[in-house]
Amino acid sequence: MENVLSIFFSLSLFYVIITSRVKAYVSVLQVQGIILSILLIIPFIHNFSIYGIILPLTLLIVKVIAIPRYIKKIIRDLDIKRRIEPTIQQMILLPIVILTIIIIFMASSLLAKNTVVNVIPFASGFSSIVIGIYIIMFRKKLIIHVCGFLIMENGIFLFSTSVASELPMMIELGVLLDVFVVVFLMGITLNRISSTFKGFEVSHLGRLKD
Amino acid sequence: MLDFFIFILLPILSAGLCYSVKDIKKQYGISLIIAMLHLGLSLIVFLGFYKTDLPTFFSSDSLSKLFLLILSNVYFWVVLISYSYLQRPVMTKAEEAKKYYFLLLNFYLASNSAAILSNHFGMYWVATEATTLSVSPLIYFYRNEEALEAMWKYLFLVSVGIAFAFVGIMLLTLSAQGTPLEGEQLFFSNFITYSKQLNPIWLKASFIFIFVGLSTKIGVAPMHSGDVDATSNAPSPIAALMSGSLRLTALIGVMRIYQIISPTSSFQFARTILIIGGMLSLFFVFVYMFNVKNYKRMIAYSSVEHLGIITLGLGIGGLAFVGAMYHAIFNSITKIVLFLMAGNIHSKYKTREVTKVRSVINIMPKTGWLFMLAFLAISGIPPLGIFFSEIKIFEGILFSDKPYLLVLVMFFLLFIFINMGKSIFNMLYKNNENEKNDYHLEKFNLTHFVAISLLLLLTIIAVTAPDVLYQNIIKIAQDFGITI
Repeated sequence: MENVLSIFFSLSLFYVIITSRVKAYVSVLQVQGIILSILLIIPFIHNFSIYGIILPLTLLIVKVIAIPRYIKKIIRDLDIKRRIEPTIQQMILLPIVILTIIIIFMASSLLAKNTVVNVIPFASGFSSIVIGIYIIMFRKKLIIHVCGFLIMENGIFLFSTSVASELPMMIELGVLLDVFVVVFLMGITLNRISSTFKGFEVSHLGRLKD
Repeated sequence: MLDFFIFILLPILSAGLCYSVKDIKKQYGISLIIAMLHLGLSLIVFLGFYKTDLPTFFSSDSLSKLFLLILSNVYFWVVLISYSYLQRPVMTKAEEAKKYYFLLLNFYLASNSAAILSNHFGMYWVATEATTLSVSPLIYFYRNEEALEAMWKYLFLVSVGIAFAFVGIMLLTLSAQGTPLEGEQLFFSNFITYSKQLNPIWLKASFIFIFVGLSTKIGVAPMHSGDVDATSNAPSPIAALMSGSLRLTALIGVMRIYQIISPTSSFQFARTILIIGGMLSLFFVFVYMFNVKNYKRMIAYSSVEHLGIITLGLGIGGLAFVGAMYHAIFNSITKIVLFLMAGNIHSKYKTREVTKVRSVINIMPKTGWLFMLAFLAISGIPPLGIFFSEIKIFEGILFSDKPYLLVLVMFFLLFIFINMGKSIFNMLYKNNENEKNDYHLEKFNLTHFVAISLLLLLTIIAVTAPDVLYQNIIKIAQDFGITI
């Protein structure tokens, strides 16, 4: 089950690379959030406890409802155009991404010979981290950078579930809260940027140089 | 529990109080009391009169005691001058920023204390991310375009960097497979106990991720750009806070993993990475100093230089390690003076460009002299603190297995000194030809008092070399497996 979900997670990465609409990024974030919450609920299906349900529920609220809604609101308020404006062609990025993911999967299956890791979630999580960085590097719009950062965060979450050893719930909740506040602050900053610079692309940020 | 209350809970409570109290003066009073309590308790804890009793996820050892004292010292002085700083005229837009100033400062204190005192990697991560969140709105204090861009870059770069550090933490759990730590919590102390059994490959990977991720926050090259932008565009007290304590909060995370790695076979690898980081920072600053345009940026780069020296000292080990710990103290104190004086100059000349600031020593003599003294202190002129720590680091390098590095370090530092001196003396002494001689006396204000006290403190610590400090630093070195 975990493996199936992780595969879906990786597929969402391919979609995010080929799509050229801003809204699609938000939907991908929602899908990833749902996958992660299901992953967290699975261990509690057979022995249900209220305590165990808190974290998946918070994750669902933060990653599927709160953050995507907030990003949609920013897109609406700032009247951001639909297209994402990449710096390189989609069709050049796609082979690079496929190659990266293949390398990551092969490398992790090699590593799994020495260490006990859940290969598919591990590799999907790691791919998501790398794809998140690609998105930040190869897209012009700042709102897409925020989405890239969140995709990276989701990857880290998946990655940490594959590495066993759970973090205590208080800390997991702290991590979620931190991520939420980061996105919130980034949103406020984006608002300011769009009103100060009359735009929201990386090219507007070039004042600070040595 | 009293210590936990004062170090972490009380600042959070007072942040809440600052939100409800609208009067800036009252907010200042509350924050100052909290800062004094924090400083007092951390001094008592440091001197060993009070044994800490912190709840799970937190603990204190010699390293966190020292860094906590540095934090509360920097914080206290910064809060002390904050009120007079807020009285200075600013753009009307920046008036709204004042409302949240003390709230965020209190939050900053709480999150930094939590990060320094944490005994758990997860807790450390959460607290460090919270420090970023507390400081980035403060960077945007002036509400101008540069500050906005700096805030965005800092927030984004550091968040991505810290996410990397989280991957490193996850890899650390992987390295614990097959040891008694498997499935256990990520406590520093447990990892240190079983460090020899950890899987070396994952441990190395973990070190790289944590070091690279946190170096966005420490400001070690080549990840220093966001940090330099932020420090140079933030208001002076915040810049002092960032240079003096925030960078050390990030450094403590690297030191924890370095402590875990030091008894293992991967130690040489980690050392090499730290040394490369330190040397690269010196090199970047060396190149930058040839073309200085913005004096605040110059001081921010000076922070990169000194954090580079500290990282280098950590990597070299031995006496250099001891020197690096002293350097952390002296650097934090000197940076407050430098940034406060730069702030005075900025509020007089309304520009950060070196070429537009002339004859400071005539127009504002007190600030000018203190700025020069602070510059001499930061360049390692005796008896002003940094000389003593740098000499220890140099000696450590000379008697280590890599003595040739000393030549490079000396070369870089010499040119940094010359070029920085050139810009600063031009600012201080060069006269504009068509300038009227309207020299009037500069009033002695609180920032001058703070600067003088700090320079005195710096000299006293350096000259008397208190035994309790020395013992504490030796104890830190012993924790890292270094015998002097």
